Amino acid sequence: MKLPGISVLLCSLVVSAAASAAGTILAPGYGELAFDAPAPGSYDLPVIDTAADGKVLDSTGASTRLYDLFQDKVILLSFIYSTCNDVNGCPLATAVFYRLKNRLQQQPEIARQLRLLTLSFNPDHDTPEIMAEYGQGLQSPGLDWRFLSSATQADLDEILDGYQQPVSRISDAQGNFTGTFSHVLRVYLIDKQRQIRNIYSVSFLHPDTLVNDVETLLLEESRSGTRSAQPAAPTQQPATTQAMLGLPAMTMPTDNPLTAEKIALGKKLFFDRRLSLNDTMSCAMCHIPGQGFSNNEMATSVGIEGRTGRRNAPTILNVGYLQRFFHDGREYTLEQQIWGPLLAKNEMGNPSIGFVVEKIKSLPDYRGRFEKAFGKPAGMTAIGMAIASYERTLNCANSPFDRWYYGKQANAMGADAIQGFKLFTGKAGCSACHQIGKEHALFTDQQLHNTGIGYRQSMSRQPLSHQITIAPGIKIAVSSEQITSVSSPRANDLGLYEITLNPDDRWKYKTPTLRNIAVTAPYMHNGQLTTLEQVVRYYNRGGAANPGLSPLLKPLHLSGREIDQLVALLRSLTGGNLWELAETGLSPGEK
Amino acid sequence: MKTKGLLCSLLLMLASYFPVQLQADETCMSPYMAKITGQEDFVYVWTLGMEGVGDAQDKLVTVDVNPASKNYGKVIASLSVGGRNEAHHSGFTDDRQYLWAGGLDTSKIFIFDVHSDPAKPRLHKVISDFVARSGGVVGPHTTYALPGRMLITGLSNSQDHGGRTAMVEYSNDGNYIATHWMPTDQQLRGAVKTGKFADGYGYDVRALPRKNVLISSSFTGWNNYMMDFGKMLTDPEAMKRFGNTVVVWNLHTRQPKKIFDVPGAPLEIRCAWGAKHDYCFTSTALTSKIWLIYEDDKGAWQAREVADIGDPSKIPLPVDISIQSDDGLLWVNTFMDGKTRAFDISDPFHPKQVFEQSIGKQVNMVSSSWDGKRLYYTSSLLANWDKKGKDNEQFLKLYHWDGKQLQQQFAIDFIAEKLGRPHQMRFGAYALYAGSNTATDRLALSDSR
Repeated sequence: MKLPGISVLLCSLVVSAAASAAGTILAPGYGELAFDAPAPGSYDLPVIDTAADGKVLDSTGASTRLYDLFQDKVILLSFIYSTCNDVNGCPLATAVFYRLKNRLQQQPEIARQLRLLTLSFNPDHDTPEIMAEYGQGLQSPGLDWRFLSSATQADLDEILDGYQQPVSRISDAQGNFTGTFSHVLRVYLIDKQRQIRNIYSVSFLHPDTLVNDVETLLLEESRSGTRSAQPAAPTQQPATTQAMLGLPAMTMPTDNPLTAEKIALGKKLFFDRRLSLNDTMSCAMCHIPGQGFSNNEMATSVGIEGRTGRRNAPTILNVGYLQRFFHDGREYTLEQQIWGPLLAKNEMGNPSIGFVVEKIKSLPDYRGRFEKAFGKPAGMTAIGMAIASYERTLNCANSPFDRWYYGKQANAMGADAIQGFKLFTGKAGCSACHQIGKEHALFTDQQLHNTGIGYRQSMSRQPLSHQITIAPGIKIAVSSEQITSVSSPRANDLGLYEITLNPDDRWKYKTPTLRNIAVTAPYMHNGQLTTLEQVVRYYNRGGAANPGLSPLLKPLHLSGREIDQLVALLRSLTGGNLWELAETGLSPGEK
Repeated sequence: MKTKGLLCSLLLMLASYFPVQLQADETCMSPYMAKITGQEDFVYVWTLGMEGVGDAQDKLVTVDVNPASKNYGKVIASLSVGGRNEAHHSGFTDDRQYLWAGGLDTSKIFIFDVHSDPAKPRLHKVISDFVARSGGVVGPHTTYALPGRMLITGLSNSQDHGGRTAMVEYSNDGNYIATHWMPTDQQLRGAVKTGKFADGYGYDVRALPRKNVLISSSFTGWNNYMMDFGKMLTDPEAMKRFGNTVVVWNLHTRQPKKIFDVPGAPLEIRCAWGAKHDYCFTSTALTSKIWLIYEDDKGAWQAREVADIGDPSKIPLPVDISIQSDDGLLWVNTFMDGKTRAFDISDPFHPKQVFEQSIGKQVNMVSSSWDGKRLYYTSSLLANWDKKGKDNEQFLKLYHWDGKQLQQQFAIDFIAEKLGRPHQMRFGAYALYAGSNTATDRLALSDSR
């Protein structure tokens, strides 16, 4: 009695030996695994795809379907052709299945739940009879191993297409078919839900990993029966728009009162990257919730396609209290302000108002939202009103300072910060611009001033070299020439002058709030100062001298200790609800 | 059963005379892939659109590089995909039917059919919801073939455009499978932190399947790779945001195992091909070092700095590296001085520079033919990092390497041709799809190594 399957296997093993003698490296599946196969159940096998169905012939010649053969078993499916001559090709797949079968004789519980399918992609040659011969001697009780072929090329092509198995016939120089095929060896692991869970090729295919993967699927199945329900998502605290400790009641525009619908819609818009021309930039990419609604990672902003912005992204926490917007104060309402970034070529890059409106209208997930919030379709004013509504809810106070100063909690703020407060309102004179009221404080006079920082950037000469930190603790000097070779020309920045054209307004910028200042580095309108210490030292020197320097600035003669105390105060201005706002990104009023 | 006997002797013959090709440095691709071991017919150049040049959008440019062709050294196809997506890297699926090309800015992945007509790739599919499907991964970089699927490294995320990122798996037909976040101090995910850093940054990935090892490197987030290079260099906050780690993973389970300090943005990873060469190289962009990631004699993975590249104090900025198929040479390009350097790596612990030549005012990628005799170079690094003004040369150049010197064969000026900024190159050949088995076009269809 002849045993063709065994003979094929033996043949491949003989070839293996010959190949090894000829210097060919055999696939790992022929030998011992060079590493410990990961323990079953210690990893996930995510779903790759749905396994395809198709018509096949079993080795008796009976027609059946793959899905019928998949019934209630974990499946390993390999594509081969019986005359394959590549030692690391089809013979490998069969040899690995054979080793797997032998190994599973010791693990009948697994063998019982597994079925091996070996399907030929050469129906012309590999008839059911040939496949029966091929499989004869390979099968044994305890593990179901089927040898399959196809009735027609069309039946096969459907399956090959479903499993993305490109196969091409190899021809000789005269164009005659050599009887061999070019293909990529793949074996598929399919779960009981007919989903592909792993794909193996020559380097992967090994009985040890196959067994463990099969066992991992079986463990997953047994665990899923007892899996406990997922913990419920934490419920959101009901939020209100009531004023917080340290902040005044907000004056709402009469034509845009807050509603839950508007806030929710504005929040959706704020975080939507599709609001830029190429779908990459949302408002939140510069005003990042986890970074105090500013950007800690760069001095001045980078917009669409990496275009350079001239200024640092300011925090939008408490922005609803401001009277003017942008560092140069060129806008007067939040509703109008939001169109600046949307249309700036170096921010969100939209070509027109109409483009933005029509794009939002076309997005299915906005369907009905504007109608519900405003009683009319999306339009220029409604978009502004929605985002402004959301931003008016980003109010962040109840800081240690607030609890100490307004809440009268003596221990809410440390001794250094208390000394810092005395300096802030006294010797250092900070509160002249960063104003503090009797009942609340915005820490800004809402005015524009020349502190010299802008003048210095516009008027100072470039140094010959820059000290650059290229890795933690490694600094090197890089010549300005080298930096210039990779720099685009930098646009100048003249502050308020750009709006008024009045020379007296050169390099004037808005006084920023100091609330949450510890989490909104880097500092100044151009992000030139990276720490609060640097900022206090800058003002201690009286700013940078220039003809338009604000008369409020003068050398302060603060000691090192006093500088530390001022910094301690600044660090006490971080709102108590900051992380709640940052982590949830949720706005008061949103349900 | 005469046929079987005949078959068996045929197999023996084949095994003796045509040993299976088990390795190829055909530009350092996935080992799970058909390789071109003879003459390549085409180079596919994933090219960034450049404002003011031609149609100003990203395109896949096909160049005929077969010296027997009448179009040798000429652009024979150009397929524009719409927009400037920050075209960067590309990679074939394991069956080499499709080329996946990522856009670091828009996070789109363009899938080109390269098998229907290798001379004229066709846009087959565009994945435009990568960020949403992956759970916020931005900047698909390396598209690395695994069996039946693609492993895609991210560079950034949609929360803050910083460097925290993940690797994402897709099936070959473009369906999302899973996201594997890089380990951080907050979430080590079972990995051992061997040094000071666990930054969660990503860049390149390579596998050593026989060791069940996957190795990833770390660059920087969208904020920096999209930023004007000069602006970034002078921004101390931005300069703090570079990767300083290499992570060794369990390939089978995709679980991070060990995190190494490799300071200064380790970029490309190239693994040795030799059957017992259990090591990979990477180079650090900012600190200009070659690092060796290797398995020690106790079976533990280690990372060691093994050589300087040029004068690190001048920031030569090593970019692409390419390892020869005999593990004898490592080519290293340095962007700032436009040079290519060859390091003798026969002792991987002591690479020695043995050759250096200027390729242009700037140079980025290098791709080697399997036999190491042909080296292709392109110029563009990133749209906003490329040199400005007259130094902004944009080219594809072919050189022949005879073991001692490089001889330029042709150069294509991508600005004069109105194409843009050429970035990564991948090779194509008719022989991959025609079922041809002639000696000159013999292919290694095994994925083994």
